Amino acid sequence: MPEMDSAEPPSTAAALSQPYVLHETLTGHERAVSAVKFSPDGSLLASASADKILRVWSAADFSLRAELSGHDEGISDLCFSSDGLYLCSASDDRTVRIWDLAASAAVKTLTGHTNYVFCCSFNPQSNMIASGSFDETVRVWEAKSGKCLRVLPAHSEPVTAVDFNRDGSLIVSSSYDGLCRIWDAATGHCVKTLIDDESPPVSFVKFSPNGKFVLTATLDSTLRLWNFSAGKFLKTYTGHVNSKFCIPAAFSVTNGKYIVSGSEDNCVYLWDLQMRKIVQKLEGHTDTVIAVSCHPSQNMIASGALGNDKTVKIWVQKSEGQLKD
Amino acid sequence: MNAPIIDPLQGDFPEVIEEFLQHGNMKCIAFNRRGTLLAAGCANGSCVIWDFETRGVAKELRDKACVAPITSVCWSKYGHYLLASATDKSLTLWNVMNGEKITHITLQQTTLHARLHPGSCTPSLCLACPLSSAPILVDLNNGSSTVLPVSVTDNTNGNAVSHPRNKFSDGSLPFTPTAATFDKHGDLIYLGNSKGEILIVDSNNIRVNALIPIPGGSVVKDIVFSRNGQYLLTNSNDRVIRVYENLLPTKGAAKELEIMSDTNDKFPRIEKLKEVGTKCLRLSREFQDAVTKIQWKAPCFSGDGEWVIGASASKGEHKLYIWDRAGHLVKILEGPKEALIDLAWHPLRPLVVSVSVAGLVYIWAKDYTENWSAFAPDFKELEENEEYVEREDEFDLMPESEKVKELVINQDEEVDILTVEKDSAFSDSDASQEELCFLPAVPLPDVPEQQDKCLGSSLKLGDSNHTGSLFSVEAAQNGQAILPASSPFEVVGNSTPEEAVGTAGLKRKRKPSAKGMELQAEKGRKPQTKNKASGKLSKPKSRSGDGIDTNGSVLEDDVTDEYL
Repeated sequence: MPEMDSAEPPSTAAALSQPYVLHETLTGHERAVSAVKFSPDGSLLASASADKILRVWSAADFSLRAELSGHDEGISDLCFSSDGLYLCSASDDRTVRIWDLAASAAVKTLTGHTNYVFCCSFNPQSNMIASGSFDETVRVWEAKSGKCLRVLPAHSEPVTAVDFNRDGSLIVSSSYDGLCRIWDAATGHCVKTLIDDESPPVSFVKFSPNGKFVLTATLDSTLRLWNFSAGKFLKTYTGHVNSKFCIPAAFSVTNGKYIVSGSEDNCVYLWDLQMRKIVQKLEGHTDTVIAVSCHPSQNMIASGALGNDKTVKIWVQKSEGQLKD
Repeated sequence: MNAPIIDPLQGDFPEVIEEFLQHGNMKCIAFNRRGTLLAAGCANGSCVIWDFETRGVAKELRDKACVAPITSVCWSKYGHYLLASATDKSLTLWNVMNGEKITHITLQQTTLHARLHPGSCTPSLCLACPLSSAPILVDLNNGSSTVLPVSVTDNTNGNAVSHPRNKFSDGSLPFTPTAATFDKHGDLIYLGNSKGEILIVDSNNIRVNALIPIPGGSVVKDIVFSRNGQYLLTNSNDRVIRVYENLLPTKGAAKELEIMSDTNDKFPRIEKLKEVGTKCLRLSREFQDAVTKIQWKAPCFSGDGEWVIGASASKGEHKLYIWDRAGHLVKILEGPKEALIDLAWHPLRPLVVSVSVAGLVYIWAKDYTENWSAFAPDFKELEENEEYVEREDEFDLMPESEKVKELVINQDEEVDILTVEKDSAFSDSDASQEELCFLPAVPLPDVPEQQDKCLGSSLKLGDSNHTGSLFSVEAAQNGQAILPASSPFEVVGNSTPEEAVGTAGLKRKRKPSAKGMELQAEKGRKPQTKNKASGKLSKPKSRSGDGIDTNGSVLEDDVTDEYL
């Protein structure tokens, strides 16, 4: 398996001084992987798959810690609570489930959506969960009782992503209708809509770590960083392929600031945040890389790919002396 | 809450009742520093902590020894501790995080208002104001108490203030109803005594350092500081609320005061104190209802000090009056016909919470009209119809020139995605690392489903157990089975027998929509029983094939009010 990118893509200006290399491949899923996430403390990695099962791995030795089953259909998204004790998952069986990791069992099932639930997110206080669905709404649930607190009439097409900002006061949602909307989490009122001239379906949205910017991915193979209060985008990242699937992107801030995203050409792309140039392409997957996640403290990236591949790959940045392992 | 895109009129005042909270019989309330948690003291001696964001019960503090109704609750500065005073003359200090009782002290009289020292994270001092005698400073560690002076008598016996109510008879405590509060950092204590004077007492050496006579000289019932410590209000028996400006600096006020009061030794003590007093507080406004001359109750400031709210103390009335600091009455809010017993303004948002004598907590909020332009940014909302006047060249064909927008977005500019701005609403938010802003939400386990049909009901059962949340969980932990409630809509009493939730009802209710009320009326015919057979569960299920739908529809109804 090639470790470094040999053929330089045209827009690589400053390549990473210490490139990411493949460290581990995690197998076990029987169908396409749909989401991977590191826990907030970095000790666990969870992956969700179309095979209806969530797998939890240790982030230290990548041994399998738990297999959580219970969903009746494939899972599209997952999210850790802030204390890393609970996971929530969004599934095609129209439910969101909360899992207790200590007990490795489902604790709650949140019903209410009338179509596939596509995305879910805990708020930083982890007392609420937001979920977006193919029924075009975003629901906000109370984690403790499972009660649906709000139903936001978010979009006119399936909702592809939801995210809370740093202090949990705002929720951003994106949809195939080409819009990103920002909601006040406390009251459920819409505070902003981000729209561009052409409105390609927005496949992913996420707040920046400080909550001031929003990163969107659209199905015209473009990533944009918006200043949402001004309603204008500041940066554009291109070079990858994304026109069919909802591929999340991530901020990598542990060693310099980068944007990381999967792509339909089976690679993981890394861009320099400020200069917008591709600094590395990680090759190794044999199908579309549908999910990426960055470790909160180490220079580690996890990626998951679709049905032809079905694996989760871990990439790390080796220091000079450890290259070529 | 720093996003500049949020409605600029946030700093406004509430207008309507948005919701009410029900859990037992609540008597007094207090917000934590950030307004994320609301503590309520109940008539059965327990304290309920509400997660204000989800409007659900986060924790319940209970102890076998505390069964007397709570008279006041107070948070410590960073929210780790809660002090509750009860009618059995006791003060209890709770650790909020683990729900344990730390200290339990019994005083000589029942405390009406207890306040923890606001300056430290682990406060050991508290100020207790009994019903009709001098306030005392209690050390929670060893239970010792110091009585604060409530009046100043001149040493030289010149103009001795021999007010009949102030006679210090030997042994028995005099009848001196006094209100007291700490200043923002706790160095000073401001007392309002029964002669209509404000005394400023140093909390360390218990020395009276200043005296400010209130015009009218009537008994002071309440004395409250604004959140930033810049304004002080007094509520007097002469039905006037007075707002004073605090002229002392917020930090180091005690030192300043010491210096001021030490300098002139020549004058008689009272005159000296009054002179110092003029440099400490300045009367800014007086609020009263000239027409009906009502007595006020539980006045307080808004979070930013811009508004003053006071409740009418008239019998059976639930009326809130809101003034702006310039003195204009801006709003009168009228609630249900249940007398009001406590009031609090949210520290950050234009929200007011009031407790009625029925034990319910009402949440007042702004009546929000949806901002339609937020949904479509290129639409502008108009107040009224505007005639559209066409441009001269409106319909001219102009190739390309219009559509070339300045896409001159300088993409090379540095973007900072990591730095977080300081929250301007809190002066010392750096220390907020240790602050307890929220209690971790432990998802309550769904009751195991008997069959697939139960899917819908079990969701609601999760709800019903939630009313007595901690009880159910504790009961489960003790090995008792959680018995499912009868009706998914009327949340009925819990399984644990000791919990006398007589007022078991919906844990929280939104403004019922017409359809919601219809449905509830239908359901209402079911008797409320404490322990239900699971047979009753079949009723909601049979209404529609899928239990989920029933819940879904009612949920939808209730929740519809949250919609546009």
